Amino acid sequence: MLDKSIKEIHEALKKKEIKPIDLVEEAFTRIEKNKELNAYITLNKEAAIKRAKELEEKEVSDNLLFGLPIAVKDNIVTKDLKTTCASHILENFIPIYNATVVEKIEENDMVIIGKTNMDEFAMGSSSRTSYFGAPKNPWNHNKISGGSSGGSATTIAARDVLFALGTDTGGSIRQPASYTGIVGMKPTYGRVSRYGLIAFASSLDQIGPMTRNVYENALLLNVIAGHDKKDLTSANKEKEDFTRLIGKDIKNMKIALPSYFMSDIVTEEIRSEVEKTKKLLEKSGATVDVIDMKYLDNAVTLYQIIAMGEASSNLARFDGIRYGFSIENPKNIDDLYLETRKEGFGKEVKRRIMVGSYLLSGENAKIYYNKALSIRDDMKKEFDRVFKDYDLIIGPTTTTTAYNLTDPMDDPSKSFMDDVLVIPVNMAGLPGLSLPIGFGAGHMPIGLHIIGNSFEEAKIYQLASFLEKELNLNLDARKGEENV
Amino acid sequence: MKEKLTKEEVLHVAHLARIKVDEQEIEKYQVELKQLLNDVDKIKEVEGYDEERMIAPWTENTTPREDISGEMLNPKEVLKNAPRHSGNYIEVPIVISEEA
Amino acid sequence: MSNYIPTIGIEVHCELKTKTKIFSNSTNGYGQMANSLTNVIDLGYPGTLPTLNQEVLSLAMKAALILNCKIRRKMHFDRKNYFYPDNPKNYQITQAETPIGYDGYVEIEVNGEKKKIEIEEMHIEEDTCKSTHRGEKTLLDFNRAGVPLIEIVTKPCMTSGEEAKLYLEKLKELLFYSDVSDCKMEEGSMRADANVSIRKKETDPYGTKAEIKNIGSISNVKLSIEKEIERQAKIYDNNETFLPQTRRFDDKLNDTVLMRVKETGNDYRYFPEPDIPYVIITEEDIKEVQKTIPMLPDERREKYRSLGIGEKNIESLIGNRSLSDYLNNLLDENIDFKTAANLLLGDIAAYLNKNEVEITDTQLTKDRFIELVTKMSDKTLTSKNLKDILETIMESDKTIKEIVEEAGIKNITDDKAITTLVQKVISENKESVEDYKAGKDRAIKYLMGQVMKESKGSANPEMAMNILKEELNK
Repeated sequence: MLDKSIKEIHEALKKKEIKPIDLVEEAFTRIEKNKELNAYITLNKEAAIKRAKELEEKEVSDNLLFGLPIAVKDNIVTKDLKTTCASHILENFIPIYNATVVEKIEENDMVIIGKTNMDEFAMGSSSRTSYFGAPKNPWNHNKISGGSSGGSATTIAARDVLFALGTDTGGSIRQPASYTGIVGMKPTYGRVSRYGLIAFASSLDQIGPMTRNVYENALLLNVIAGHDKKDLTSANKEKEDFTRLIGKDIKNMKIALPSYFMSDIVTEEIRSEVEKTKKLLEKSGATVDVIDMKYLDNAVTLYQIIAMGEASSNLARFDGIRYGFSIENPKNIDDLYLETRKEGFGKEVKRRIMVGSYLLSGENAKIYYNKALSIRDDMKKEFDRVFKDYDLIIGPTTTTTAYNLTDPMDDPSKSFMDDVLVIPVNMAGLPGLSLPIGFGAGHMPIGLHIIGNSFEEAKIYQLASFLEKELNLNLDARKGEENV
Repeated sequence: MKEKLTKEEVLHVAHLARIKVDEQEIEKYQVELKQLLNDVDKIKEVEGYDEERMIAPWTENTTPREDISGEMLNPKEVLKNAPRHSGNYIEVPIVISEEA
Repeated sequence: MSNYIPTIGIEVHCELKTKTKIFSNSTNGYGQMANSLTNVIDLGYPGTLPTLNQEVLSLAMKAALILNCKIRRKMHFDRKNYFYPDNPKNYQITQAETPIGYDGYVEIEVNGEKKKIEIEEMHIEEDTCKSTHRGEKTLLDFNRAGVPLIEIVTKPCMTSGEEAKLYLEKLKELLFYSDVSDCKMEEGSMRADANVSIRKKETDPYGTKAEIKNIGSISNVKLSIEKEIERQAKIYDNNETFLPQTRRFDDKLNDTVLMRVKETGNDYRYFPEPDIPYVIITEEDIKEVQKTIPMLPDERREKYRSLGIGEKNIESLIGNRSLSDYLNNLLDENIDFKTAANLLLGDIAAYLNKNEVEITDTQLTKDRFIELVTKMSDKTLTSKNLKDILETIMESDKTIKEIVEEAGIKNITDDKAITTLVQKVISENKESVEDYKAGKDRAIKYLMGQVMKESKGSANPEMAMNILKEELNK
C-alpha cells in the first residue's frame, strides 16, 4: 500500500478499504526488513499502534496526511519517547514535553513511527558520528546516506514510510536527500518553529520535510509550517498552501546559476547533470543565466565560526545535573562536568565545542565571531541583489555523490567541505530544496539544489515539480541494484 | 602556519569547554584543533565588508508576551530525569569555588 | 595610617515585581515549595527557547526613567557563558552590548550638599537558581531560575561608605515607590556588590580593586566598605600590594573575607543571543510607562513640607508607603494636613499595626477621613474622644456623626461658653492664680483640671487651655 500515491492511499482510507493500523504495520514490517540500514535509533511501536487504533474512531478528514506514518529525526523532542540526538549523553533521555512540530503532526492525525538516526547532535555530514553507528545508503549499502539527517533520508529512500522530518543547520536535509535520491526541503529560517529542536546552532537550524516526491514534500510543509509564540524567531506569516504552484508553467521564469557552483570543486558527472537540467529548463521557456556571486567561497569559514561558536554555548547545558548521562560518584563539581562531558560526547562534538569555546573567548569573539556576523550580513545582501533579478537560484546540491562508509574520518575539515554548496543558504536564512535529477557512477543519485528568496518555498516547489515530471526518474532504491 | 597547538592551548580550550582531555588524547587534539583553527583563520583575509552584523536571519522584531502565568511542572517531574536528587531538590556535589 | 582617597562603585541586582519569569511563563514567586515554580524552559531542557515578558520591559523602562537614564531604542540580548550548577543552561541571558538604560544618575544629599551618583548602565537579565549547601552536597531549587532582574551599575564615583549607603537608600526608595521591585534585601530581591579601591592623589591611577559580593543589608554595605578601605590602607602603608580579588562580608566577623583571587579576566565568551530578535522601544512605549510612575519620594517630601507637615512626620510617611499613598489621595482636599498626618501616623497607624491590616482594607474611606480630620481640627473631637471611637470608625460603616452621637460626645467648642467657665474658675481659686503668677507651673494644671471638671469633661482641652492662659495673663 505504501507504494501507492498519496491520493490513492487517502481514497482507500476514506472508503475504509484500509485502516491507519494497516499502514503502520506495513511500515514496521518494512523497517524490520530493512533493519540492516540502521535508519532508526528508537521505534515507537506500541504507541504508534495505539495511536493508529485511536484514529480508527475518527472520521477520515480531507487532510491527505491523515493516518500516515512519519519518521522524526532524533534531535526533535517527543514526550515520553526517547530522544537521544544520537549521543551517549542523551542515550536514555525521555523528554517531558513535545516539540511544536510534534504537536502539529499529532493535530494532523499522523502517526510517529520512530526516531531516526543522525550525526551526534547533527554534527557531521555522513551520520557516521552517531553513537549508534551510521545508517546505510539504500542505493548501495557500502555508501553513506549523508548527514546529519541520514536516518530520515535512508528510511524515505528505502520506502519504509513516505514522510520524515529532518533538520538542516548547514545542509543536513538537502545533502543526504541528494545522496539518497529523495526530496528534501530546508524552509526559510523562521518558517517552522524550532521549539523542541535540540539546538546545534540556533541561528542556522531549521526543521524541514523529507519525502519521496515534491508534492508530498509540500504537503508535509503545510503541516509543520506556521507561527509559534514559543519561538521568538518564528515568522508571523499568513497560512499558505505550499502546493499551490505545483503544476504551473515555468515559462519566463528567471533562474540564476552562480559560476562558483559549477567550478571544479564539483565532479564532472554532477556538473554535466546540472548542465543537462539547465538546457531542459531553457528548452521549456525559462532563462538560466550563469552569474557571479560574492562571498559564496567564504560560506564554509563563516559557518565553521558561527556554528561552532553557537554550539559550544548550546551544548553547555549537558552537564549531568538535570538530565542525561552523568558519571558515577563524582568527586566534586568540576569532576562531574569534566568526566560527564568527556564520556558523554563523541569526538566530533568535543572538537567542535572546544574550537567554538576558543573562538568566543577573549578578543577572539571580535576577530572571528563578530566579523563572521558582519560578512554574513553582506552575504545575505548579495543574495538580495540576485533575487531582485531572478526568481530562483540553482546549482548542484553536493560536490560528489555518496562516498564509502569506510572512507577515513580523521580529517576534521572534511565534513564541513561536504556541505560547501548548501551552507550559504543557511547563512542567509533562505529556503533551499534538493531534487534528484539523475545518477552518477555506480547509479548513485545526483541532486539539484534550488534556492528561493525568503518565504518563497512555493516557487521552489513549482520548479522542482516541473523538473520531477519532465525527468520522470525511477527513484525506487529497492530496484537500485538492478539498475546498475 | 603552525601545525600544532601547544599542550597548554589544548588544555585551556578543554577547560573552557569543561571537557576532560587525557594525556594520550592531547597530541591528537593539538593537530585536529589546529587544523580547524587554520580553517577559520581564512576569515582574516576577507576585506571590504561593512560592519553591520546579522546575528540571525530574523525576519521580525521580538513580540513580547503578556505577563500571565502558565502551566508549571510539579517537583516530581522536575526530578524525573535528574541523575541525583534528594527531597524536592536536585543534588550536585558540594560547590566550593564561586564562579560568578 | 596615611590618607587615601577611596573610589567606590556599586552594582545592584533587583528582582522585578512581575507575575511571571523573564523568559518563561512560570510564576515569579518567593517562599514556595522547592522546585514547584518551574517549567522546562527554566530548567534549561534541551530544545526549549526563551520568550520575553512584556512587563519586564515595562518595569525596566520605568526604572530607567526614574534613574534618569537614556533608554535604548533597539537592543538585543547576549549570552554570558560560564559553568555553574545554579546556571541551568550554563549560560545566562543578559544584556552586555546594549543595556536598556545608560547614562543616568541618582541624586543624594551628603552633609547637606547634593551629589549626583552617576549610573553607567542598567540592564535586564535572568536570575540563577538557589543553591543550599548540606554536608557534602549542594541542593538546587530552580524556583528562582529565570526571575527577572535589573542590574544597575554606577560609575566609580563614590568616596565613602556613607555615600554608598545614601545611594542605596535612595535607590531602594525609588524602586520601591515606583513598584519596580520589592527591594527586600533580606529575601534577596535586592542585592548589592561594592567595588572598592584606594589611591593617594586624585591624579594617581585607580588602585587595585576588591569586589565585595552579596552584602545582606545597606548598613553592612557601609560597614564592609569602611573595613575594606582600612584593610587596603594598611597594606599600602606597609608598602605591600594585593591582587584584584573578590571578597564577601561576614556578619559574624563584622569584616570582609577573601573568597578568591580573580583569574586573569573572567572569560565569559559573550556573544549575541540568537534566540531573541531585536527588541524595539518606541516613543509611545516610553510615554505609556511614564504614565505609570507615581509621585516619587522627593516630590512627596516637598509637597508635604509645603502643606506644613513636620520633618519627622514627613520621613515617617515616606517610610510607610501605604499611608503616604492614602494621604496623596487627599491632596486636592481643603483639610488641615498637619492634623491629617498626625492622625495617620498616630492612632491610625497604631490601630493598623495592632490589627495587622492595610488602611485600604478598613472602613476609613476618603470622605470619612476628611470628616474626621475636620472634626479634629475644629476641636469638635478631642484626641481622647478619638481613642474611644477609633475602633468603631475603622470597622463599622456608620457615619462619623452617628458614631460621635452614640458615644455621647458633646464637646464645648464655643469660645464664649468656655470663657465663662474659665472666668468662674479663676474667681473661685484666687490662691492658685497667685501661685501661677508667682511662676509655679503646677498651678495652671490645677486650674485646667477645675475647668474640665466644671465642664464635665466636655470642654475642648486645647481651647480651654488657650483661653485659660489668655484670661490669666490679662
